Amino acid sequence: MIEKNNPSRILFNILNYGFMAAFAIVCIAPLWHVLMASLSNPRMLIMNTGLLWKPAGEITFKGYELVFRNGNILGGYGNTLLYVAWHAVVGTFFTLIAGYLVSRKDFKLQIPLLLFIMFTMMFNGGLIPTYQVQRAIGLINNKWAMMIPGMIGAFYVVMIKSAFEQLSPSYEESAKLDGAGPLTILFRILTPLIMPSLAVVIMFSVVMQWNSWYPASVYLPMSREDWPLQLFMREVLVQNNTAKIISGADAAAKADLTSNLVKYCVSIVGTLPILCAYPFAQKYFVKGVTLGGVKG
Amino acid sequence: MELSAAPKKHTWRRDWKMNKWLYFLAIPIFLYFLIFHYLPMFGLVISFQDFKPQRGVLGSEWVGFKNFADFFGGPNFWTILRNTLVISGLGMAVSFPLTIIYALMLNEIRCTWFKKTVQTIHYMPYFISMVVVCGLIIEFCSTNGMITNLLVNVFGIRRENLLQNPDYFWAINLISDIWKGLGYGAIFFVSAITSVGQELYEAAAIDGAGRLRRAWHITLPGITPAIVTMLVLNCGMILQVGSDKILLLYNASIYETADVISTHVQRMGIEKMQYGYASAVGLFNSVVGTILLLTSNCISRKLTDTGVI
Repeated sequence: MIEKNNPSRILFNILNYGFMAAFAIVCIAPLWHVLMASLSNPRMLIMNTGLLWKPAGEITFKGYELVFRNGNILGGYGNTLLYVAWHAVVGTFFTLIAGYLVSRKDFKLQIPLLLFIMFTMMFNGGLIPTYQVQRAIGLINNKWAMMIPGMIGAFYVVMIKSAFEQLSPSYEESAKLDGAGPLTILFRILTPLIMPSLAVVIMFSVVMQWNSWYPASVYLPMSREDWPLQLFMREVLVQNNTAKIISGADAAAKADLTSNLVKYCVSIVGTLPILCAYPFAQKYFVKGVTLGGVKG
Repeated sequence: MELSAAPKKHTWRRDWKMNKWLYFLAIPIFLYFLIFHYLPMFGLVISFQDFKPQRGVLGSEWVGFKNFADFFGGPNFWTILRNTLVISGLGMAVSFPLTIIYALMLNEIRCTWFKKTVQTIHYMPYFISMVVVCGLIIEFCSTNGMITNLLVNVFGIRRENLLQNPDYFWAINLISDIWKGLGYGAIFFVSAITSVGQELYEAAAIDGAGRLRRAWHITLPGITPAIVTMLVLNCGMILQVGSDKILLLYNASIYETADVISTHVQRMGIEKMQYGYASAVGLFNSVVGTILLLTSNCISRKLTDTGVI
């Protein structure tokens, strides 16, 4: 297409590119500030009032040393990794099974099961009854409270269902002729074919679990040893309680100076892994949004 | 396939024989949804009780509609309802059109590497955890924070912690939502735009339509179904203001603008342990939410042939 380069066109382009670049800076600047602050000299950091473009004072890794020597943060990291891995593997496995069951047209329970699952998208018991149920079956202050509930999402089941439905039935028929059993057909033949949709489910559950703090705050109030990283981060960043990280003999003297530094370091420690990963995973998120039609 | 004239009826017995293993696979799925989704629905009966966990559902005292009366007649009902509606209304009136304008603007960028780069950067805030985002908001809006400094210097407002002043909460919440969600929220519209037929643009270009006119007369009508679907569904979600951000940001001094239904349920139910009352509020929210969602889904299907359910 040939474009005329009239003045208004040029002006529009300047404004448009300018806006896009400016918003990109607005997206990055706060994080850049946090990264630079986390490397700063705590004395200089306290005096700083503006956005940091480079570390205040000489670069130090003192804050990170404190954070990584801290059992809470390391334990939280471990728990988060466990929850992320569990939902990515076990959660996705059951989502896959559920999606397959409701895609089988020759299965008499297909429609009842589909309605049973879809109804939960429309209506739910809400926080308090769910809390009471989990309490009754012992899923309060217990690692499993983070692992069993939330394992299967109705929305993703529907997504997997439509992925299975788009496969040609000939795959299954020819595998059957070759003598493959039903489970072999499902896991060896059909599942690899819907890998793109499965990847979307895995990516969403990884990011959701990594960033999730709310369920843990409700269901694990007393068991700090099971807390995911985000809950320790909330303690430091939102409830402003850095005392549990800066411990030791000279804690009181140092606390004021270093508490700021620790906050920044904790933010980076909790964010960096996902920031490094998302540019490679973004195509799955784009796909998830367009597949699902609506989400977010 | 059998070639008999009357094919055998697909009875349960036959289905069991044919699909035995499917039934086995269905057991854990069924149990999962039964326990974590349906039991809580039945658990909603505690909305009509003065529920005491140690007595259980069967042993607790029935109080009829007292919990509902307490909520509707309570001093905070109108405040909470107003806050919920204002916060989601602002999202619809401001963030939503901005997202569409942003998608249209992005579509006008021809330089591929630039477009890809800025898009990737604009997604980034979506992937940062709410805890970190709220930590930053708290820090920047504190008495000596960066945003406070800026506003004091430029607009001459009084120096204070912005999150302690109820007048600012809606703005802080809206702007941070836009920051976090603009790039990601636009994905849906960006992909809708790419499906608008190229030949329409070419025809319009030949007729001498400029870029702006093409955006207005071709792109916008082309993505109208997507816009309507999203808008209608947002209307259906109008009471579902999530609690996880507000819980991190609010404090007792700004409850009058920041407290919404979900945070009220959380505070009364989990912190103050008034289970019956909080459950009643949640039931009200679920019922109205479901009605709104079904209605709007129905409208969306009528208007554009698409819906979520």
